[in-house]
Amino acid sequence: MYVICKVDEKKCNGCKLCIWACPDPNVIVFDPDSKKISIHQARCKGCGLCVAACRQKALEIDAV
Amino acid sequence: MTRRMFKISAGFEEVMPPEYRELVEKGPFEKQLGVAELGTFKELLEEHPLCAGCGLALSLRLTLISLPSPEDTVIVGATGCSSLAFPQVAVHNIHSLFGNQNAVATGLKRALSLRFPDRAKDVVVIAGDGATCDIGLESVMHSWFRGEKLTTIMLDNEAYANTGGQESGMSQLGTVLNMAPMGKKFKKVAFPEVAKAAGCVYVAVAAPHQPRRLERSVRRAILIAREIGPTYVQLYTPCPTNYKFKPADTLSVIREQEKAGLFRPDEYLSPEAAAYIQQLEEAKG
Repeated sequence: MYVICKVDEKKCNGCKLCIWACPDPNVIVFDPDSKKISIHQARCKGCGLCVAACRQKALEIDAV
Repeated sequence: MTRRMFKISAGFEEVMPPEYRELVEKGPFEKQLGVAELGTFKELLEEHPLCAGCGLALSLRLTLISLPSPEDTVIVGATGCSSLAFPQVAVHNIHSLFGNQNAVATGLKRALSLRFPDRAKDVVVIAGDGATCDIGLESVMHSWFRGEKLTTIMLDNEAYANTGGQESGMSQLGTVLNMAPMGKKFKKVAFPEVAKAAGCVYVAVAAPHQPRRLERSVRRAILIAREIGPTYVQLYTPCPTNYKFKPADTLSVIREQEKAGLFRPDEYLSPEAAAYIQQLEEAKG
């Protein structure tokens, strides 16, 4: 089963802690206008480091 | 390297891969970006084959962002997990035999300073703990004795991780791995102390749980190596695959090791290096 990270945009406050914790490049993209992040799903390996770093509990690992 | 070197020739835009086009449009070249801007530009690393939750991949990613001028940098790599990621790195890089990375970097730095006498060209060695502390120890030590102006960055995952998990000189005492079932018999090598004694003017120990500290260490190491002498940065990068913890726990393992006293972030500047950094900071304002 493949798993990837999914973001709850309502909870995200754009603190960028997940971007600094992700071992894979260009997966988490920060939008400077909305101050929120989005996940590039094809690049995500689903390791869960961003989920552990997120203080807002806005991220979760789920099946594709 | 100037920007026109990686620009796409007219008419070829559509045949180039989308990742390359993205790099030309949104890459960090000549922009002075750092860790704070991550997520808003195309990074210098593309989809790499390293494991999920790899601490080494995270450190490599943060290190590449921290390069003060990626367009004028050449990276010398060595065999190990990191060498699997280097084909995906958009900075000039060289892979030579296992362990002779600092010897290759020495020749490269001398040639570049002859070819480009009025342009700062950084030669950065990024290698694993096996290549730096065990197999390449002789070339690393001698480049420091000679005072070569190189930056040596060790990605310390405390094992030979891509060959099944053998103990390395940097593994902790008693470490049990797949290929070291009896436990390691001697202590972790105090390599930062060795670097100080061997003539490094700047020595730092950091880990990716503090990205800004890692960025500052790498940046300072490269800037000091331009003018003063050899510098060394040791990055602690735990390996979930060989140390058998969950990929999501990589950063908490670093914090636990720090609490237990087995990993200690550190920074040492020689008096000349400290004066140079102070001068740079004053010039910046």
